[in-house]
Amino acid sequence: MGQSKEPVRIVVAEPAGRRGAASLGTAEALRRIGRGVRIEIVHDAADALALARGSADLVVVDHALGAQAERVITALRRTGPPVVVVTDEVGADAALALFNAGASDCVTASEDYAEVLPAVALEQIRVWRARSARQAVRQRIRDLRSYLENIIQNMYSGLVVLDDAGCVAVANPMAEQILGVAASGLAGRPIAEWFGAAALGDGCVARTLRSGARAQGVEGVVLRADGRSVPVAISSSPLLDPDGTQLGAVVNFSDVSALVQLQTQVLHTEKMASLGRLAAGVAHEINNPMGFVHANLAQMEEYLADVAKLLDAAREGPDRFTALARELDADALLADFGQAIRESQEGSERIRHIVQDLRAFAHRDDGEWIEADLNRCLDSTAHIVWTMMKHSVVLRKEYGALPPVRCHPKQLEQVFMNLLVNAYQAIGTRGAPGGGEIVIRTAIADDGVLVSVEDDGVGIAPEHADRIFEPFFTTKEVGEGTGLGLSTSFEIVRRHGGTIRAASRAGGGTVFEVFLPKQGGAQT
Amino acid sequence: MNPPTLLVVDDEARILSALQRSLRREGWRVLTAGTPDEALRLLREEPIDAVLSDHKMPRISGLEVLDAAARLRPAAARLLISGWPDEIPPERLAALGVVALIPKPWDDADLKRILREVLAKA
Repeated sequence: MGQSKEPVRIVVAEPAGRRGAASLGTAEALRRIGRGVRIEIVHDAADALALARGSADLVVVDHALGAQAERVITALRRTGPPVVVVTDEVGADAALALFNAGASDCVTASEDYAEVLPAVALEQIRVWRARSARQAVRQRIRDLRSYLENIIQNMYSGLVVLDDAGCVAVANPMAEQILGVAASGLAGRPIAEWFGAAALGDGCVARTLRSGARAQGVEGVVLRADGRSVPVAISSSPLLDPDGTQLGAVVNFSDVSALVQLQTQVLHTEKMASLGRLAAGVAHEINNPMGFVHANLAQMEEYLADVAKLLDAAREGPDRFTALARELDADALLADFGQAIRESQEGSERIRHIVQDLRAFAHRDDGEWIEADLNRCLDSTAHIVWTMMKHSVVLRKEYGALPPVRCHPKQLEQVFMNLLVNAYQAIGTRGAPGGGEIVIRTAIADDGVLVSVEDDGVGIAPEHADRIFEPFFTTKEVGEGTGLGLSTSFEIVRRHGGTIRAASRAGGGTVFEVFLPKQGGAQT
Repeated sequence: MNPPTLLVVDDEARILSALQRSLRREGWRVLTAGTPDEALRLLREEPIDAVLSDHKMPRISGLEVLDAAARLRPAAARLLISGWPDEIPPERLAALGVVALIPKPWDDADLKRILREVLAKA
């Protein structure tokens, strides 16, 4: 009884004023158990049961209550508390009948009644309390289990518990949904079937299983059996037993397709905005060839009229033709005609090129990692930007020989575009009369490539230096910058596993340095 | 009588070429300059009667060319050609005595007519 501080409660059900035969009344006998025992005496089954169900430890029923006694015994048979019957009769048959009805014990009101009854009562109470305690523990475990189960079943991210071999031991419904498999198809299967790279080699889940390393929000891709691939953010931690021995891993992951889609959208929006900023320069670049092609067409109409005149003259006769040919300077006419055609062709070719460049830049990235020559990416980007800045900027290229870099070339072109446009605008803001200079440098560095864009423009104010990569931070006029150029560039470079930083250039101006590893984005 | 001399200034060689072909037939002696230095040299050395300059050029603007022309050849008629004629402040045109602002792309017939008027006034 040591485990409970609750006072012992015993209900005694006996006829009023009975048990004179015994040396001591039932209640008096029970009081011998000790202090702190509460005894409640009732005279019928209804009262006995009401008190018994209010957390009594024991009911002692006098057999003399007859049917009322039987009712109490039967009613408490399944639920407890235990019922001890006090009886005048002696005999195995009678005792057996009482046990069968549900009594826990049977005491004869004999000479040693006052000693026996407290002992029997104590033993019954001990057993009952121990059983109740066990039941309470079991109930608590059941409650806790269902509580945890509820959380796991309803959490809005996939959860799998892996054994030490990386096979699925437990999976919640969200995990089934993201992986596209029913629980039955997951149990016991290696998680690498879905997680691919993340669960193999140096992937985050593989590292957790191998060395207990935790990972948080690592980008990964789930490859589903239906052919779909779902971008996920994976967190994994070791599953330890109380001794600290690793049993496996707990991995939770969420579907981040919506996020990825949004990021792609922002990327594209920013790209379109920078395209808009280019438009004025491009319009100028198109306008020049437009101008001379337009004029040339008007001229060619005149030339053609002269040629028609010459043809008429030729029909009239050689003398007439010779005279007119001299008058119109037919040789010069033919030379001009040819030149007008050739130059118009060149002009329209130039326009076609500009449009092609713009289209290539505006094109959405198809999302493939490919090996690319960054000098070429820089060239094609510089070519577009050049149209806008050639009036005020000298552009110098100091390219080193570069190894191919695994990257999204279109995204990197967007980064280069941002850096070049910023450099150009920095020079414009400084407003030096002679214009400015932009130097693009490339070189091999460590296990990658270093690209720098240097300008002698207005520079970055020290108080802005920490903020330039923040989204929506801009020092430009409303409508001139989205404030997303550098933050987008930062994100693109980060996804390539590279770094981007800005530094002030000695003598004014800014240098942006971008480092890109040769195996960009290989870790995810 | 010598043909009148027109100086055309533009950083785009093909524009110079087109203007030269077109205006030569109009009886002009057409000189072309693709750089500010060349324009200044011709202004100093040649008997120029009219200057037609592009506005947006590297290192120098058309207004600056016409400003130099006003000082070096005050008698020469000054004409400006530009893809963005709206962006040029009219008061600056007036101050420089620019006789015509021609949009680019230009209409060849219009340009010839304008230059004929310039010639008639000279």
